[in-house]
Amino acid sequence: MKRPSTNSKLEPLSPREKIAHLFSRLAFGPRPGDVEKVLKTGISVWLDEQLQVKTSTNPDLRERLSEFDTIDLGVADCSEFITYNTGENATEEERKAARLLQRVPMSELMQAVALRAVLSERQASEVMVDFWRNHFNVSFTKGRQIFSQINDYEREVIRDNVWRDFPTMLSDAATHPAMLNYLDNHLSRSPPSKQELKEIERRTKRKTGSKTQAAEAVTLATQRGLNENYARELLELHTLGVDNYYSQDDVIAVANVLTGWTFDGGRKGSHEYKFDNSMHVEGDFRVLGKRIREDETGDNGQGRRLLDILGKHKGTSEFISMKMVRYLVSDVPAEELVNSVAKVYRKTEGDFTAMVREIVSSDAFYSRENYRSKFKTPYEFIISALRITAAEITSLRGLERYLKDMGQPIYHCDDPTGYYDVAEAWLDPGVMALRWQFARDLVGNKIKGVKVGDAFYQQVPTDASPRLWQHHLTKMVLPGGAGERTRAALTTVTTEYLEKTKTPDFYKAAPVLTGLLIGSPEFQQQ
Amino acid sequence: MTDNKKFTTSRRRFLQGLGAASVVSQVPAFGRTFPLAEAAPTIIRAKGQKSIVCIFLRGAADGLNMIVPYGDSSYEGHRPTMAMDLDDGLIKLDSTFALHPALAPLEPLYKNKRFAPIICAGSIHGTRSHFDAQDWMEFAAPGNRTIREGWLNRYLTSTKTESSATFRAMAIQELLPRSLRGAFPVLAVPGNATNKKSGENLDIFERFYGDSGGMLEGGEMANRDRENDAAGVVESGRMTIETLRRFQEIVGKAPKKRDDNETVSGSAYSSSRFSKGLQQIAKVLKAGEGLEVAGIDYGGWDDHTGEGGVEGKMATRMSDFAQSLAAFCGDLGPDLDNTTIMVMTEFGRTVRENGNVGTDHGHGSTMFVIGGEVNGGKIHGDWTGLAKKDLYQGRDLAVTTDFRNVYHSVLTNHFGYKTPKEFFPDFRPSEIKSLY
Repeated sequence: MKRPSTNSKLEPLSPREKIAHLFSRLAFGPRPGDVEKVLKTGISVWLDEQLQVKTSTNPDLRERLSEFDTIDLGVADCSEFITYNTGENATEEERKAARLLQRVPMSELMQAVALRAVLSERQASEVMVDFWRNHFNVSFTKGRQIFSQINDYEREVIRDNVWRDFPTMLSDAATHPAMLNYLDNHLSRSPPSKQELKEIERRTKRKTGSKTQAAEAVTLATQRGLNENYARELLELHTLGVDNYYSQDDVIAVANVLTGWTFDGGRKGSHEYKFDNSMHVEGDFRVLGKRIREDETGDNGQGRRLLDILGKHKGTSEFISMKMVRYLVSDVPAEELVNSVAKVYRKTEGDFTAMVREIVSSDAFYSRENYRSKFKTPYEFIISALRITAAEITSLRGLERYLKDMGQPIYHCDDPTGYYDVAEAWLDPGVMALRWQFARDLVGNKIKGVKVGDAFYQQVPTDASPRLWQHHLTKMVLPGGAGERTRAALTTVTTEYLEKTKTPDFYKAAPVLTGLLIGSPEFQQQ
Repeated sequence: MTDNKKFTTSRRRFLQGLGAASVVSQVPAFGRTFPLAEAAPTIIRAKGQKSIVCIFLRGAADGLNMIVPYGDSSYEGHRPTMAMDLDDGLIKLDSTFALHPALAPLEPLYKNKRFAPIICAGSIHGTRSHFDAQDWMEFAAPGNRTIREGWLNRYLTSTKTESSATFRAMAIQELLPRSLRGAFPVLAVPGNATNKKSGENLDIFERFYGDSGGMLEGGEMANRDRENDAAGVVESGRMTIETLRRFQEIVGKAPKKRDDNETVSGSAYSSSRFSKGLQQIAKVLKAGEGLEVAGIDYGGWDDHTGEGGVEGKMATRMSDFAQSLAAFCGDLGPDLDNTTIMVMTEFGRTVRENGNVGTDHGHGSTMFVIGGEVNGGKIHGDWTGLAKKDLYQGRDLAVTTDFRNVYHSVLTNHFGYKTPKEFFPDFRPSEIKSLY
């Protein structure tokens, strides 16, 4: 294997390194043979295929996904699916079953997400879906009501829009029950009118027959009002970036404009987004120096206009481009590249395909400086390990614990920031201990539902000598090359093994070597 | 992260500096260098190991719902559904303030003068972004995006000597609190990374990460090795091996005479992550092996809805928090005299409750300082009152005690560490006179 010269940072990547790099950034790592395949066809063929909107899900994956009941359900259907009224006389077992049922969509979605990341041939889509999932983060930790909302959100807001454009995704997120619920906007409203308060008093009195209770209900109701949570994150995290162009006054104005953006969540409701004019604070508001007029038809036009302004804002184009470059290229995004991507954003109205293409076809993307410069997140580490070992997966439940221990369970990020994509957030002393354990558990087939077997090992010529096993396995797990230290360490392990045994057994030695490779420094990098 | 100016330099630069024998002489910092070495810190370390336990309540905890200003005439008006009074079970501290009923387990500490609440505390920076505010509080540099090193790590780095213990700081969770991030190697361990199997892994992977001599003959290969470690993985792995080994040694030595859940005071830890984390910290502290700083997070305080008063989401959380903390103090026993526990949060919440029995992002909040030497049993800090004209921007609690002065006071009084001029960038701290 040709190695890059070690004293020149400027030496361009070899064709093989280039492909390994592309697979580590615009895919969750290669599967066995992927790099060799693209070496033959050329990068542009693979890229064109990946950035095509219309390619469909590969059949093996489609079949696996068909095992799940809830991932294709709309919010209303999903809500119906998980509702099981046990009644007053239910036994403890029935109640337990009802509780478990509530968690089916969550469990299925977490599995589907990981399964797609591992098996899908549309890797660029999966990588970008992961990016947007974190950018527009929602989380199951919000509580029961969101259990029936996220499956629809993942499908309609994130996945379906992954090659569309930013304004569309922004608008779809802003009108989805999962987001409105997660950031409390569905509750944000104008203070109730006198008429409404009277109605509340009348209804409570009729229901309870108590004057005191009716009065209490009125006191409670007068407190209802504005909730700034979504407004702030819309500006800070979704569009402009923190304290960029906006002030606290803008946050309050945005919160006012978006009052009434809620969903019909009643038991017999549609569970869909709705604009409730009775909750809306009437009036014109000044946001980012622009007056946004009230919609005279009593509809959500004012909020629409706001999203439109945000989607077209220079600050948004810069912030989104910076995050994309940071995710795909480097923890320290080069200004020049960010600017050129932002320009593409403004020219194409935030077209995702154009932006991603601008990044991965830039010279900066393939510069030696950026090669293996990013630390894989726990999620990227686990998914890439499953891909490179061609792991047979019967269930992904066993993997959940590892993701949780490493701090990145799927759709469980409490903070609206989503999970960070930079080394600074993940590379603390101690985290490697968990990765080493995972590597050993994986090749030891100790993870329930996951098996590394012949699909992987059969690619090594079995008549080869133990020294060649090491060589082949290294090339398979680290197609971008192994450093001197890693090769030396592996050689020591092999030597020790040969000293101890008279009859080398491939099926004993290979998993050990594979585990070491997955725990090696090179495999943590991308 | 949340903006385009963050993470402008990689962790690598930090980590690379660690290979050098004398870290103190060339502390590398994110963005800019801290000239701490030149400042020649003076340390007057007393006998008996002193320690700080730093607890961060993430999400902006509502200080007004912890140390409740029931005596303030405007309090009830701001919080018609959430307000409480003494009849609701508030625990009276003085004529203005009371402890939330869910914090009852902390009452004995207050009575024994070991618990000092500081009201109107926080950052004078006006941000209401969780993520910036947390960073800035933990880096002790509000508004400054170039400082990426935690304030406790700065302390550890600048006081490192050849002979000091190798295991001076830790966090029992997957990732370090930002206050502990930086040049000084600090271990972050989730509870289950401490078993025997993980010890085996350290031996196995040492060849790939450790500084095992044979493979790295001469400086050239070591340098090259570093150059190829753009993401800083090898250094992190090496630190994992060193610190985790030491941790296992210490925990292995800890006496197991008591039932795991029982503590001296009789109050028990709960089953929450926070509680279990504190229990681990107590184990290491009691082992007396030189642990100086421990960090731990408690998340989920962003109560936009359903925060409540006597009952509610926040009360439930506070109850676990207080029970765990009381158990921890009991567990420490006499060691509490050598310990200072700090409790902080990134900012406070709106004085007025919002439309959903919750509160939105505000400004001033409350800090706790607890410990044997602390001058507790009284409310610290200046109260500005809740009348609208006295509120910050007409809506939030004002900040009258800068959090950096609390840090400074703790470091000075507890560690005898005089913060050098550069410790708090662009800020001259002053001691809070009565805190110790």
